[in-house]
Amino acid sequence: MTIMRKALHRRSFLRGVGAAVGLPFLDAMVPAMAIGQARAARAPLRMAFAYVPNGIIMNQWNPGYEGTLGELPRILKAMEPHRDDILVLGNLTHNTGRALLDGAGDHGRCSGSYLTGIQVKKTTVDIKAGVSCDQIVARRLAGQTRFPSLEVGLEDARQAGDCDSGYSCAYTNNLAWKSETQPLPPILDPRALFERLFGNGAALNPEARARQSDYRRSILDFVSEDTRKLEATLGPTDRRKLDEYLSSIREVEGQIERAEKTNAQIDPHMEKPYGVPADFAEHFKLMTAMITIAFQADLTRVVTFMMTREGTSRPYREIGISDGHHPCTHHQGKPDLIEKVTQINTYHATQMAGWVETLKSIREGDRRLLDNMMVVYGAGLSDGNRHLHEDLPTLLIGNAGGAIRTGRRVVYRKETPMCNLHLAMMERMGVHMEHFGDSTGQLSFADLT
Amino acid sequence: MQFQQVKPSVGIVFDSDLGNGVDAALALALLYGLEGKGEARLISNSTSMSSLKSAAFADVLAKFYAGPPPAAGAFAGFERPLPPIGMPGDGDLSGDTAVLKAVLEKTTPEGMPAYSHGINRLNDTADPVALIRNAMTAQYDENCMVVLAGPAINLVKVMDLPGGLELIRRKVKLLALAAGSYPDGRTDPRVKADVAAAKRLLSEWPTPIVAAGTEVGDGLPFPGSSIQKDFAWAPAHPIVDAYCAFRNMPYDAPAQVVAAVLYAVRPDGYFKLSAPGKISVLEDGRTRFTPSADGPHKYLVIDPAQKERVIQTYAELASAKPVPRQNPRFRNNQKKNGAPPPPEPVNQK
Repeated sequence: MTIMRKALHRRSFLRGVGAAVGLPFLDAMVPAMAIGQARAARAPLRMAFAYVPNGIIMNQWNPGYEGTLGELPRILKAMEPHRDDILVLGNLTHNTGRALLDGAGDHGRCSGSYLTGIQVKKTTVDIKAGVSCDQIVARRLAGQTRFPSLEVGLEDARQAGDCDSGYSCAYTNNLAWKSETQPLPPILDPRALFERLFGNGAALNPEARARQSDYRRSILDFVSEDTRKLEATLGPTDRRKLDEYLSSIREVEGQIERAEKTNAQIDPHMEKPYGVPADFAEHFKLMTAMITIAFQADLTRVVTFMMTREGTSRPYREIGISDGHHPCTHHQGKPDLIEKVTQINTYHATQMAGWVETLKSIREGDRRLLDNMMVVYGAGLSDGNRHLHEDLPTLLIGNAGGAIRTGRRVVYRKETPMCNLHLAMMERMGVHMEHFGDSTGQLSFADLT
Repeated sequence: MQFQQVKPSVGIVFDSDLGNGVDAALALALLYGLEGKGEARLISNSTSMSSLKSAAFADVLAKFYAGPPPAAGAFAGFERPLPPIGMPGDGDLSGDTAVLKAVLEKTTPEGMPAYSHGINRLNDTADPVALIRNAMTAQYDENCMVVLAGPAINLVKVMDLPGGLELIRRKVKLLALAAGSYPDGRTDPRVKADVAAAKRLLSEWPTPIVAAGTEVGDGLPFPGSSIQKDFAWAPAHPIVDAYCAFRNMPYDAPAQVVAAVLYAVRPDGYFKLSAPGKISVLEDGRTRFTPSADGPHKYLVIDPAQKERVIQTYAELASAKPVPRQNPRFRNNQKKNGAPPPPEPVNQK
């Protein structure tokens, strides 16, 4: 690490054997004469998509009003403390998720088209979608961060087989597509994600990994020398920031170790790789903590987060629901099933609200980390009972560095393509495209300001 | 890949200046009549007027003929809600006519609106360009007919979408154009309203075009006598109210758009066709037809032998009682195994 520079390089790392820990945004990274003026400009903008499956009970999601957000419906209640930081968008549509003569398979289509805007090929073999908008941005930012993008999930990364009426599991289990035939499977295992973020690639051979594991040494132990050197050059504010940041990494490590220890207690009905927390909320918190660190350290600026795979029949025993999610969504108007789906939707949104709280709590120059982000939280179906692809539940969280005036419910015209939002977000990320998927033009951010 | 086994009836994209006169409303009534007989599906309905009232009138007719969507929370299987109404969003939205007033301001004896609709603001309507494009994408190749009865701007914008021309070429069999006078004649306000769009449409639209001119509308009018007797099954009927508001009764209404719809769905047996040629648009909004053997355009010619039959068909189809939306296949499935039925393509009733 070079710490003799007048300004610390944004992409500095704390290095050690088999480890490379990126740094958060520090005052020391801003040249002395530019503090204040350049801080905001230097903070990078990040984009993330957090996806929930099987649609939403929309009358418990959509506020019954437009304009400034006030009281939020039941599912979004946990977002109320963050209402100044969100937009609740209405009427966005994914036409390419609809049947369009391909028959059954709305789940396979809606997730396959969610970020690609493409009518995916109905097949279990020769899959074909399109390059997803996150990957278009990742390609453009390649070289500016350690990872062009991160793909994270909490359930089922199978890539083969029939997951919905002739649609490959590649469609239901991935959001990100690097090419029209190459999806990027999400990382489900916290340990795998941790090692990806902080490992030094090939340098961490099996022996080193085993030694690290055997002695339960923190990754921070491996970079302690670099840490000490850096701390000696920092002012008190930066030292506090660095300490908080490294503490969050140590906390994540601890959570991973606890999950690995308690692996034997995992519900036998749940298929999970070793080390994945049995509890959904714990798993969510762990993975989002690492995503947060990745953003903080500018390891990546693009993340897709598939909370559970589209069409999942995962039960939520954590909240007392032993029925599968998907069967419940075909509620046929039965109040008890609608209630269960509402509880699952609320549970997801509550976890999301917790993550937003974290993103708000982290300072980045004069702003909060969340202020330099655009996070879409939503689903590829609105009404999961009827498999509707219009008025998709969509939250836009964060103000994109001040470009978007949040805190409002904005309802667009019916049939407005979801790809118009993608196009506008890509533009904010520095990628100008005339069209994407089935877009009819950029979703006007003027409408949002 | 097209997975459906049975090709459905022809899908109609209907784009009109609904409410400007009464012939577009009569044409929609006729179209709903054909839909009830299983001969056509109205897959997209848009107004070219930037008028919430015009869109509301379209929604009144949709609800009147196609019935309300399932109540919120009620099980509807995979039944789709009614497609939204398309409307340009770049005008002042306030367009109004006597026809629109008559329908939308009519009240029951209790003071309630006589006809329900769900359009009160811009975002209750759809962007017509996306609506039309999306509807086309769900159709079998060449199983879509487009009926245009107003300024061509919505269709021109669909042509301008990436892949728009190719989509139209693949999905649309024919554009039935209710505009102009043939082989020449008076200025048609529908053309004059946007001459530039009409010129582009007629020079670049990638499928055959058959035009129904004002002379067909005048020569085969909708019979006012039918309004007075054939629609009496409904205590209040929006078509009757619109018709009576357009002119003083009794009168026979020019039915240019009705002819275009009838031809689009039933191309044989009612009209004669001109020789092929090319329609051009003059700056003052008049149209000219120039015959040419390989021309992509034709126009309807009244067949004197069929005149009475055509008018009778107009009356019979436009006054038909609405047929409840149903899909026996789904109901049978539910009865058999209680499982949710398979989904059907979007916008299909």
